Amino acid sequence: MVECLTDKKVLTKGNYAIANAAVLAGCQCYFGYPITPQSEIGEFLSGKMQELKRGYVSAESELASINMVMGAASTGVKAMTSSSSCAVSLMQEGLSYACADELPFVLVSVMRGGPGLGNIYPSQGDYIQATRGGGNGDYKLIVLAPSTVQECVDLTYKAFYLSQKYRNPTVLLADGLLGQMMEPVEFYDYPYPEIDNSSWALSGTKDHKARIIRSYGPLADDRCRFLEKLFQKYKTIEENETEWEEINTEDADIILVSFGSTSRNVKTAMKKLREKGIKAGFFRPITLYPFPSKRLAELSKTAKKFVTVEVNMGQMVDDVRLAVNGACPVELINKGVGIPPSAEEIVSRIEVL
Amino acid sequence: MQEKNFIIAGFGGQGVLLAGEVLANAFMLLGKHVTWYPSYGAEMRGGTVNCEIVVSDEEVSEVNKADTDYVVALNQASFDKFLNKIKKGGMIIANSTLVKEIKSRADINYLFAPITKLAEEVGNIKMANILALGLVAKASKLVNLEVLEKALDNVIPPHRKNLLPLNIQALKIGYEYDLLHV
Repeated sequence: MVECLTDKKVLTKGNYAIANAAVLAGCQCYFGYPITPQSEIGEFLSGKMQELKRGYVSAESELASINMVMGAASTGVKAMTSSSSCAVSLMQEGLSYACADELPFVLVSVMRGGPGLGNIYPSQGDYIQATRGGGNGDYKLIVLAPSTVQECVDLTYKAFYLSQKYRNPTVLLADGLLGQMMEPVEFYDYPYPEIDNSSWALSGTKDHKARIIRSYGPLADDRCRFLEKLFQKYKTIEENETEWEEINTEDADIILVSFGSTSRNVKTAMKKLREKGIKAGFFRPITLYPFPSKRLAELSKTAKKFVTVEVNMGQMVDDVRLAVNGACPVELINKGVGIPPSAEEIVSRIEVL
Repeated sequence: MQEKNFIIAGFGGQGVLLAGEVLANAFMLLGKHVTWYPSYGAEMRGGTVNCEIVVSDEEVSEVNKADTDYVVALNQASFDKFLNKIKKGGMIIANSTLVKEIKSRADINYLFAPITKLAEEVGNIKMANILALGLVAKASKLVNLEVLEKALDNVIPPHRKNLLPLNIQALKIGYEYDLLHV
């Protein structure tokens, strides 16, 4: 029974995986205020960052955290904050400003139940918050959604890279299930190139003239040009960075669409449907912004139906409907909050759709 | 290997999350896919707490499954709570120091062992959780002592390494507990 032992992997919680990956990605500054179900991130970094002589501030509030992380990012260092649902709400003004200021940093959002104070159970209720945002004006956050603890590592690295590459805040959107569960993971060196920010970072005036980073404001005479430039950047992001996973979609009559931890059960449901002779496919957006709309539109030419499975009252389903644009029906199977519906439950609910 | 899952449950403070972490670690060392997911109330001690471990040769199909192959119940509340979640043909390993030996289901296997009492005999009641893992290894045949010892070494932090020999002893006593007399 005993097979070869492997010690390449370590068993760790999603929250610790994210925190350790942030350290390996070169995060120099962390600011945060504890909230379940992500407090382990701050706990881990409070020791590790000090050990490495990097910056750690236990902020007095999430309003402070988001403004501190903006300040750190303006100096060109990699910076991060993390929080959960009702407290990410407090950061929305800062996120709008950070997009206007083009400040690169990572926000880890480990979703719990809402609205309001909500509860500490897993949830996907902040899809809209992350992809649309509650801040003012036209802006986009890059949003990455891990589905396993290993992906918590992989996508934390990627979040740092994309934020630096595009000078835009990037959200790692996990949930209470991923944050609290343990799985074997492999850590590895940060796999992305370092981005040169010497042309804009507020790094002191030794080698260059004084610089200023500020939100574009009422006195700017190139108001429209700023927004157009900003959205040209978002278009580039959409063209280059859209990522998804798909299985058995080519011949599928019914395509199940799901993101994050919920997608694990959905993948199993797809396999069970195939065993029953139903041509089911599986589609998982990994980047929630940019959303893989183009690919879904292509698949809507051959599929007969899409079903999104979410742990919220139906949020991503809107994006799937926009992508499919009426080519075929898009249904929703959901659960308000908690552990995702079981594969068996998903199968039986699909059978009566 | 077909996918198998375990629920380890007891009072907060009995070390069920740690026992689960050791078991999950052992499966990782065997090169398996494994998930560990905790469930507990707000209490530091005294509330009920459990964790589920799912192990598979392939990707784990579901983190939190509808039914379970093995339940380890360290107290009566856990025994009562999870008895009906066990699959037909599955097994409950119960701490008979704290759990009444009643076999109300005929379609599952029972392993009653005085886990707390045996731990006291080792010299530390806190070893009950690890002792239970010895029973799990023996009854399930899915892990062995050698790999559980390595897993213990992985999980026990450096400043507690002095407790490793006692933990290994507890593991052995659980493993060597005579199942024929159950």
